Amino acid sequence: MSVLTVNLKHLYQRRGLWLFYVIVVLFAFAAIAVLFEDTKAGQGRFIGLIVLAFVVGLLLAVLPLEVMSKPFSYCLPGHRKVPRRFIFWVGVLVNLFGSLLFLTYPDLHSGQLFLVVCSAFFAGMIFFWLGVGFAFILRNPGAWIGFLPLVILGGCFFGLHRVLERAIVGIPFGVILVGILSSIVAWLWLGDEGRARRYCAVPWIGFFDAWNRDKLQRYRRVRAPIKWDKLKQHPSPWVETFFLGRMNRHDYVSTGRYIWGGLYTMFGIALSQWKATCSSVFLVALAIVCFLGYMGPWTINILFVMPGLMIAQMRLPVYSSMLISGGRKERYRCAMTLVITTALLITVLLTIIAVLSVLLATIMPDITLRGNTFIFQPMNIKLFFVPLLMIPIVFTVQLIFYRKPMSMVLLIMLVFVISFVTSMFLYEHLSSGINPMFIIGGLVLCWGTFLLVSRYVCMRRCLVGQGRTY
Amino acid sequence: MNNEKPIVQMRKVCKLFGNIKALDNIDLQIQPNRIVGLLGANGAGKSTLLRNIIGLYLQDEGECITFGSEAKKLGPKELGRIGYVHQEGDLLDWMTVKQLIRYVSTYYPSWNRQMEEKYVEDFAISTKARVGSLSPGQRQRLAILLAIGFEPELLILDEPAAALDPVARAQFLDLLLQIIQTENRTIIISSHILSDVEKVIDHAVIMKEGHILLDSSFDELRERFSRVRISALGKELPPELPFENVVHCKRSDGQAILTVKDCPREKLQEQAKSLDCWIEIETLPLEDIYKIVVS
Repeated sequence: MSVLTVNLKHLYQRRGLWLFYVIVVLFAFAAIAVLFEDTKAGQGRFIGLIVLAFVVGLLLAVLPLEVMSKPFSYCLPGHRKVPRRFIFWVGVLVNLFGSLLFLTYPDLHSGQLFLVVCSAFFAGMIFFWLGVGFAFILRNPGAWIGFLPLVILGGCFFGLHRVLERAIVGIPFGVILVGILSSIVAWLWLGDEGRARRYCAVPWIGFFDAWNRDKLQRYRRVRAPIKWDKLKQHPSPWVETFFLGRMNRHDYVSTGRYIWGGLYTMFGIALSQWKATCSSVFLVALAIVCFLGYMGPWTINILFVMPGLMIAQMRLPVYSSMLISGGRKERYRCAMTLVITTALLITVLLTIIAVLSVLLATIMPDITLRGNTFIFQPMNIKLFFVPLLMIPIVFTVQLIFYRKPMSMVLLIMLVFVISFVTSMFLYEHLSSGINPMFIIGGLVLCWGTFLLVSRYVCMRRCLVGQGRTY
Repeated sequence: MNNEKPIVQMRKVCKLFGNIKALDNIDLQIQPNRIVGLLGANGAGKSTLLRNIIGLYLQDEGECITFGSEAKKLGPKELGRIGYVHQEGDLLDWMTVKQLIRYVSTYYPSWNRQMEEKYVEDFAISTKARVGSLSPGQRQRLAILLAIGFEPELLILDEPAAALDPVARAQFLDLLLQIIQTENRTIIISSHILSDVEKVIDHAVIMKEGHILLDSSFDELRERFSRVRISALGKELPPELPFENVVHCKRSDGQAILTVKDCPREKLQEQAKSLDCWIEIETLPLEDIYKIVVS
């Protein structure tokens, strides 16, 4: 078996990547399809495959990173050089194909056409190497990939696709020169033995490694000291004194002791950094309000749903192998209290932000951009109850899919997307149809489901997994 | 036979994970004041059994009673008497060691501060360090400290020494020997490192594929299995040796080493006499006993 065949397994054995391959193929298809619709010059319709080279580079960087990070394969002959050659040739092939689209570019004579195709090829190579570089720098590119659609949409909004197409056609020599230089730099950069040594045995998270629990654990373990060192003196002594004091007010067998203990473990660190927490929450919320406020009445109200996504990271003390003297009943009551507290805190916080947005609406100016006028829309305070619906749903999903974190995240994302789409299409109907009965019905349904599921989990399910850690 | 009420009683306990039977008709009684070694290969069902005892797992069939209460209904009263060390278990990573100790100690009225201080010093754990940044060995030492700090009546140690280096392992065994000296304490320890367990246990439970193959006092076990060295006094040994229940036999140049099971010493000596040869009987180490039982 050749060195290449052995290492290709990194690309085909990771099941999650197959989904991504499908998305890349669909994207490529869409990039070609837009040309059948119209081949007008200067509209940015030709650069779809050029931009796609970035994603391909991001994907293919999996190969050298995997080889370099494994001491065993790193030391085998040829394993450091073959992946470099492989990704280089794939980059060449992908961009050859992408640049051929420019053969249909209108109003160019054959000499010009050849130059433009070369220019497109090297523009693709620049994007390709950028993708490879990003994968190396980010170490966890999967976590950032969600921003890619935003960057593409943002780029389209500001007409960057047209700028890029014009650059390829208008300044081919410049693009070719930059492309050649970037390819040489990338070739040398990937072959640098010093770099290879730095990556050897260094854990990293590749695309769709989120399914690989062992790898994630190793990664977290290595990163843990850096992460915890950032906490410095937190949690502060006053937080500890406060919570332990509350716990001590209750009897040793009383549930109150466990509830206060749960509150300490869940909110202790945030409370200790309350100034930083509050200011960052308000600043981020304000920035989002200012941005989404101009995006239309339904968009800003997405803020009511967003905390649902954020709390997916919070861990209820239901599944824990750290045995304290609390039994299943105590775990259940503690979880209930924590979810209610979280829901109330977030609802109050969002209501304050909604009120602020109403106040902001009086001072925010109308913005005119590219002939479009954007008017700031405040949050609809009538929707204050939405977090109270979302939070029990998110925690229900978390309790059911606790041992499958990726499925949990995907399901929560699905809930988020459904709410997003529903609010987009039915916002007017929904906002006019909100009445106390609707709110009460929703609350009963969501909280009832959460109560039933959490009781079932706490009383009847295994509270630690079969794995070593949970 | 011990007439005291057992601390743990398992009757016909079955536990399934999908199609895999992790525990299959387990009947087990743990008497108080015993040091029980739970031995078995990976996947034998040791951790599952331990987790059933404290109610972290619930059996699909059968009954599991701990401290007189159904395992699934264990509350603060009963769990306050149980210390548990999970292999590479959860701890609150964001706390400092000191904070975590203070937090856990708040749940136990019997927390022993002197003992805590002593072990913090012995284990060389920095109380200012962040739990999340401890090495696996230090983490395990901290987990052990948290499990013994309140002097539990039942201490469950699930592969406690797996993450420890040899020095820390030796320290841990010393600690275990100290704990054992305290009266009214029952310890269940599961481990792969049989040579370590051998020094401390007085009862052994050997598991394989969800079954208990052997449940016996360690002294009885050592009496049941012996290694016999036979040397012919100046002549050849006969081709057929007249010993019963031979599990394993190795011969070379007028010598034979036999592993025998359920054969009393007196009988072995009598048989050796009839052969007119020199005989040496020694007890088997736990590792060899384990190999015989599971094979």
